Amino acid sequence: MSDDTTRSEGQNEHLSDHALLALIARGDRDAFARLYDRFGQAAYSLALRVVRDRELAADVVQDAFLVVWNQAATFDANRGQPSSWILTVTHHRAVDVVRREHRRRADPIDESRDGVDPAVPVDEQAWISVAGEQVRAALRTLPDQQREVIELAYFAGYSQSELAERLALPIGTVKSRTFAAMKQLRDALAAAGVHPEDEWNTSTS
Amino acid sequence: MEHLDELIAAHALDGLDADAAEAAEQHLAECPQCRMQLAEYRSVAAGLALSVPQAAPPPELRNRILAAVEPVVTAPVVRPAERARSRRWFAAWPRSAAIAVPALAVVVAALLVWNIALRSDINSLHSSLSNDRTATMAGFGNVVAQPSGTVKIFASPSAPPSGKTYEAWVITPAGTALPAGTFSTASNGFTLREQGHNGDVIAVTVEPAGGSPKPTTTPIAEAHI
Repeated sequence: MSDDTTRSEGQNEHLSDHALLALIARGDRDAFARLYDRFGQAAYSLALRVVRDRELAADVVQDAFLVVWNQAATFDANRGQPSSWILTVTHHRAVDVVRREHRRRADPIDESRDGVDPAVPVDEQAWISVAGEQVRAALRTLPDQQREVIELAYFAGYSQSELAERLALPIGTVKSRTFAAMKQLRDALAAAGVHPEDEWNTSTS
Repeated sequence: MEHLDELIAAHALDGLDADAAEAAEQHLAECPQCRMQLAEYRSVAAGLALSVPQAAPPPELRNRILAAVEPVVTAPVVRPAERARSRRWFAAWPRSAAIAVPALAVVVAALLVWNIALRSDINSLHSSLSNDRTATMAGFGNVVAQPSGTVKIFASPSAPPSGKTYEAWVITPAGTALPAGTFSTASNGFTLREQGHNGDVIAVTVEPAGGSPKPTTTPIAEAHI
């Protein structure tokens, strides 16, 4: 087999995420391998956080990357970073899985039992820890009630009506609280000098 | 306006109930401002994605994903119409071909043996990469068959004609076509309602809306799995 079954060195390394997607749109599998090396871990970590099962998380990531492969040609560069797109696709599939499987979603992850690996090589993925810390800091500035709706919706996959039921709130309150929370989070990031639509890419680090 | 903002912020979190999500998508299709807004909130959501504890993906996942986009050599499925045509063409052959035909048959047989040997090489290479089997539906998309029997179609076809739908079929080696669900797009992957196993053919036909119990048209896409 060609060298694409091992980590590809050198070639592609200097290319931007956008350039990789343009190559993938033309069927370039080396570029696809490179894109996986950049975002596979972030996608997997997200999927694992939502579905809480390593095998399901791996399936989610595989499906998401096949979507990326099939739709790279339709990616609109004016609508954000490739990283946002990949994570959006991954999240969408992960939420599909939890809603379909009716998994218990609110329990905190038991990191020791779920085998979340703290010993991930950080060098290549340094941008993730930088971005992750910026977001965690912004989240800490939110009122508890706002942080709660964001976490239940995004990480536990609760729909607005499920949130209303769980929190015993009118649906209208859930809607306005979710909206306020997202605005607040965006503003908190902006106040910290972070502009998400320009960030979250590998060249940040 | 405020109402749409709420819808879009929740949509960015994949937090809408199915009916609201559909309404949001319909609105987004015709509102560039809301698409911009959604992109902005999606970027914020992507930040949330990056804030989770990092975990190393299983090492074999990379090979699985790369194998799934590998072009696979599949034998073209001979459609009934083509079969009929090739019979007619053969019947029209001059008698003088009587000698050439057996000779040609030997060559074809040899090529076939070679082809099978090559194919098994490819298959063993594939199985060493992944337990999933992937096949190309020429001009349509990909089929991924998992060892569990779950089969998915990944394709972005143009919308079916109005009043029509795409219907997937699992065709068993005995020739039975099992209806496996209808879809209009499979860009995010369409999971077939029937399991597919080694030796089956996965086919897609255009059927009246709602689908048919048996294929009523010639498949527009097929692949062996």
